[in-house]
Amino acid sequence: MEVTAALQKLAAYERHESQKSQKLLDNASSILKSYARQGDEGWEALEKLTLAALDQGDIETADKCLKILSERFPDSARVDCLTGIRLEATESPDIALQYYDELLEGESANAAFGRRKASVYRRIGKIDQAVKELSSMLDTYYTEVDGWLELADIYSSCQQYTYALQSLSHTLLLAPQNPFHVLQFAETAYLAADIPLALKMYLQVVDMTDDDEEDVPPIDTIPTGLTLRAWFGVKLCTHRLNTEPRVGSSSASQTPAPPTTTLSSLDDLATERLRTAYLNTTQESPPKTDSALIDALAKVISKPGTT
Amino acid sequence: MSGPAVSLYLDPQIRDWVLFPITLVMILVGILRHYVVLLLQSPPKKQSRAAIREQRALVRSQILRATAANSPLPPSHYNAVSQHLADAFNTGSYLKDGPAKSDAAAAPPNPLTDPAAMDGMMAGMKTQMVMMVPQMVIMGWINFFFQGFVLIKLPFPLTLGFKSMLQRGIETPDMDVRWVSSLSWYFLNFFGLNGLYRLILGGENSADSSRDMATPFAAAAAAPQLGQAQDFSKLFKAEIDNLEFSKGLHVWVADDVETRILKKYGRAT
Repeated sequence: MEVTAALQKLAAYERHESQKSQKLLDNASSILKSYARQGDEGWEALEKLTLAALDQGDIETADKCLKILSERFPDSARVDCLTGIRLEATESPDIALQYYDELLEGESANAAFGRRKASVYRRIGKIDQAVKELSSMLDTYYTEVDGWLELADIYSSCQQYTYALQSLSHTLLLAPQNPFHVLQFAETAYLAADIPLALKMYLQVVDMTDDDEEDVPPIDTIPTGLTLRAWFGVKLCTHRLNTEPRVGSSSASQTPAPPTTTLSSLDDLATERLRTAYLNTTQESPPKTDSALIDALAKVISKPGTT
Repeated sequence: MSGPAVSLYLDPQIRDWVLFPITLVMILVGILRHYVVLLLQSPPKKQSRAAIREQRALVRSQILRATAANSPLPPSHYNAVSQHLADAFNTGSYLKDGPAKSDAAAAPPNPLTDPAAMDGMMAGMKTQMVMMVPQMVIMGWINFFFQGFVLIKLPFPLTLGFKSMLQRGIETPDMDVRWVSSLSWYFLNFFGLNGLYRLILGGENSADSSRDMATPFAAAAAAPQLGQAQDFSKLFKAEIDNLEFSKGLHVWVADDVETRILKKYGRAT
């Protein structure tokens, strides 16, 4: 299991030029000196150092680590993947793609290579190829939740929200316990103009994330983080259902909109929740009208640290 | 029957040149066997991508079915996924060799002609051989050179029932049961050295031959079963029915989420 997790991390690698990698790279000489004495941890440290060096564009150090690693583990898919990332850093995308193609042809075919290939395609703007690569990879390795998320991300970036919803529905099947996926599903459904479905999904997130283990009844808690975002989504949905009743009947997934009485009490509840949250984060009295409240809350939510 | 005095006197040479060599040879052969088996074990063959896809297709529908009773998906999405899988199973697009031709579908693959299944059986046979040959040689060696040797005397008395166990190869009805013959010493080692191997080579060693003896053809017998389970087209056909059943069971968790939330927050009407 540990190896698959490590491979998934490698498959998802993207260049950030982060401070963390700079810090790690500053320790390069000590890591290179001491890896042999640390056993398994030492090798892992080398892998991390390679990634950090690539992140910072220090090809020389990366090559040094790669050489040690590939001598120690000649047939490892992890090292192969790392070598691929190294190729992506300096060579042209075509060479990297060719390298991944060879790996995928070979014996140790692996989901990680497919994902890396897709990310190369995506970086050079060949979205259609990336989608094709990812879908064929996921057709074989169905259980790669991250792969499905990435596919949904690609679809959303092209405004193909219906397809994104389909990919996300697979993540929901694979990890039904993860509220983040449900929230993403709800937000995508909202973008796909399937408001009744979005409303149900937002409520589902609320149901999953509010802490009902504590002694305080849920009505007295202050929604934060995911729950706040979900309430915000609920409010958006009820607001739209109230102002444009037509959207309630135009659901692509044939989800029925809630009856008017339920809808109005949901709207009341969501408004009340959002006002509580607003009052607690800004210490100001919340705006009165619906649209003003939504605007004000959007600022609160998009502020880093609250979600 | 032996009196209070020792009735037999064993030459210390027997101890030095028979008892110790037999024990030592058996230990060394066991260790050697462990390493030979390690050498013979071919790494598990990597499967082609199509084969992996075929194997995992069932997992897909199992995951879908497992969620059916408390599904995170609305009915329309669930049905779409379910329908897609059922269609794929029906046309056989997940099969390793592509959709089956209608006339050639009947016979399951014969494990003896399938090279992949043969490999599994050969591996079992090879370990069998590595076990059998040295044990036969050692037994022959003991029988040829040391037949009828009495090697040691156990320091505790035993009943007559142990006679056939401890004095194999010596046909004397009267000798005290405490005397152990060379062939019996071989068998005692054969079954008793496992603990020592575990100490030297670790728990997962393949030096112990008596374990293979207990299940002589287990490895070979497991292989054909594996071969027969691979008839995926039949499994897929069965899975279509399972998918139909689960479709009937499907309940969306979010079906009554509005009332649930309203109740939770004390706004139930």
